[in-house]
Amino acid sequence: MKFPGIYEELFYKALRIRLVEERIIELYPSDKIQSPVHLSIGQEAVAVGACQSLKQTDLLFCSYRSHAFYLAKGGHLREMFAELYGKATGCGHGKAGSMHLAAPEVGLMGSSAVVASTIPHAVGAALAAERLKKPQVIVAVFGDGATEEGAYHESLNFAALHKLPIVLLCENNGLAVHSKLEARQAYRITDQAKSYGLPVAYLADGHDVVKVHEVFSGIVGEVRRSRCPHFVEIRTCRYKEHVGPDEDSHAGYRSVEELQAWKSKDPLILNQELVAQYRPVILQEIDDAVEFAERSPWPERSELLSDVV
Amino acid sequence: MALIQARAATDPTLETEVVTYREALFRAMRDALARDPRVIIFGQGVDDHKGTFGSTLGLAQEFGAARVFDTPLAEEGMTGIAIGAALNGLYPIQTHIRSDFVLLAMNQIVNLAAKYKYMFGGRFEVPMLIRMVIGRSWGQGAQHSQSFQSLFAHVPGLTVIMPASAQSILECYPYVIGRHRGPVLAIEHRLMYDLKFRMDEVAEKANGSPLTSRKVRAGNDVTIVATSIMVLEAQRAAEHLARVGGIQCEIIDLNCVSHPDRSLIVESVGRTGKLLVADTSWQAYGVCAEICRIVCEHSPSALKAPVVTLGMQPAPCPTAKSLEDRYYPNLRDLTDAVATLVTGTDHHGIPLPDEHSMADVYKRFKGPF
Ligand SMILES: Cc1ncc(C[n+]2csc(CCOP(=O)(O)OP(=O)(O)O)c2C)c(N)n1
Ligand SMILES: [Mg+2]
Repeated sequence: MKFPGIYEELFYKALRIRLVEERIIELYPSDKIQSPVHLSIGQEAVAVGACQSLKQTDLLFCSYRSHAFYLAKGGHLREMFAELYGKATGCGHGKAGSMHLAAPEVGLMGSSAVVASTIPHAVGAALAAERLKKPQVIVAVFGDGATEEGAYHESLNFAALHKLPIVLLCENNGLAVHSKLEARQAYRITDQAKSYGLPVAYLADGHDVVKVHEVFSGIVGEVRRSRCPHFVEIRTCRYKEHVGPDEDSHAGYRSVEELQAWKSKDPLILNQELVAQYRPVILQEIDDAVEFAERSPWPERSELLSDVV
Repeated sequence: MALIQARAATDPTLETEVVTYREALFRAMRDALARDPRVIIFGQGVDDHKGTFGSTLGLAQEFGAARVFDTPLAEEGMTGIAIGAALNGLYPIQTHIRSDFVLLAMNQIVNLAAKYKYMFGGRFEVPMLIRMVIGRSWGQGAQHSQSFQSLFAHVPGLTVIMPASAQSILECYPYVIGRHRGPVLAIEHRLMYDLKFRMDEVAEKANGSPLTSRKVRAGNDVTIVATSIMVLEAQRAAEHLARVGGIQCEIIDLNCVSHPDRSLIVESVGRTGKLLVADTSWQAYGVCAEICRIVCEHSPSALKAPVVTLGMQPAPCPTAKSLEDRYYPNLRDLTDAVATLVTGTDHHGIPLPDEHSMADVYKRFKGPF
């Protein structure tokens, strides 16, 4: 697809992710997607802006909230829907579900439902890139809550100590399930990262996909050149409940005003002209992917005990 | 037992009432806070609007944030903090919404909590309770579905309970919190939270501790030793077999996995000659293996047929429902296994219940058991 400029291209990619997740919400009551879903609606710009300057050979590791990164990194939409449907044609052959999407063919190296557990994998991949002289940039994606885990600190220390070619990307949506950041952290995430000697960037406008792209491409370029680790924190906002298809801003644990403030800046809501322009072609692609999932077979019985050892 | 009878004496409805698993957990938590000011409860989300699946709901408001509080995402550190708090006079209750996350705290649990008493010559005690929930169904997948009773029970110094009823919760938890002086791990099952249980079997135990196994059904044809939700499945299978096949199953709820009542098991197998073990986890090196060890060591000649075991398939849990339904033994498999064991042939001709997905059933079925 041809775009008049970078804004349109990034907008298109972010809108595609949003419409995919909105389709998931539509489908959810049918019980065809029998998997917990952690939606990225509101956070699409981070994934799209970050992945724009990555090559397919660059590797990315992320969490259970991985739909956006799976798509932004280039994972196939058909295989994603098939996976959500538990079909044999899914990217994990029906064994992954929403929480464990992966697409090694485009460098999405896995997503884990145990908070912070893939951060050390990214550091290890960066170690391999460094030792094997692969010209890759490795990216670790994690939430604000993940920075509280021991494995996170152990990983940052090692990455900084060994000067590994990695970008540590914290997607800060201010929440871990229903807990606000202030109730969990005595430190500031960037200050803390700085104390390991990491160069640190901070972006407050995680809704602005062009800005995310600019910041990130600068950092990726720097890591590619210097082969040294960088840290970036991007503020963003999760619109839906922690897990599941619904809104839960009425539940009282989060600020409704803050949520509204984010939405009032969201290009995917504001620029309805572009939405109207791109929506039909995206919906067509989504229809095709859902239909692919619908008509795909269930995994064979023998699949239950295959790939174990 | 003693505790429940004391409660029953002051609350005459208790023995006959119907209580959900969730309600029993909530009562146990609330009563613990009310009874002893040294009790604190912490864990991710204990004070939010979901309140650990309802089991801690509203307790932060009622007892204050100093006693019921949310934690950072720091499983190992928080378990160490619980140990320190216990060493200095608090009674900590730590919660985990999935047992899978407890693996991050394994170092503190195994290397520290389990050994603190012994390693210092008995000069310390770490009375504390770690609650964790086994997930199942709806695509919980490989990292939200595991059942680690045998990992914990393997380690001397830990007490591991798996309540299979509201009764067990209301007998064990107050005892653990109020009287037991060591670290206890309670493994709860998510699918049981909504189930209703009749509070009607108050069994006397000689030593007065509920931290042991319990016979939940008497019968002479086969002994079924089961854990957690498999106890309920065994009860359902037993009722079916009694009705359509005239088979009488004896069921032992292992309940305290780390300290099972060996003589109860050995006596039962001595009478029935047949043993089936049904566990919520993998069979290898687990509860199934351990129960076989107990029988083999105490009474190998009691067995008139090879032991049968049921558990999860030897693989990580798949998310696709079509695979997940095959991953766990269902009522049909269990009933067939019992009928085959009792009759000595798989051509037993006993009609089997046509039920393949336990998760579907538990979504609809709410008890009472
Ligand atoms: C080790 C571990 N502890 C707890 C959980 C339960 N849990 C799942 S997601 C989550 C919150 C994580 O917050 P954050 O890292 O900010 O990511 P977000 O969900 O906001 O994207 C928690 C506590 C888990 N999955 N793994
Ligand atoms: Mg977060």
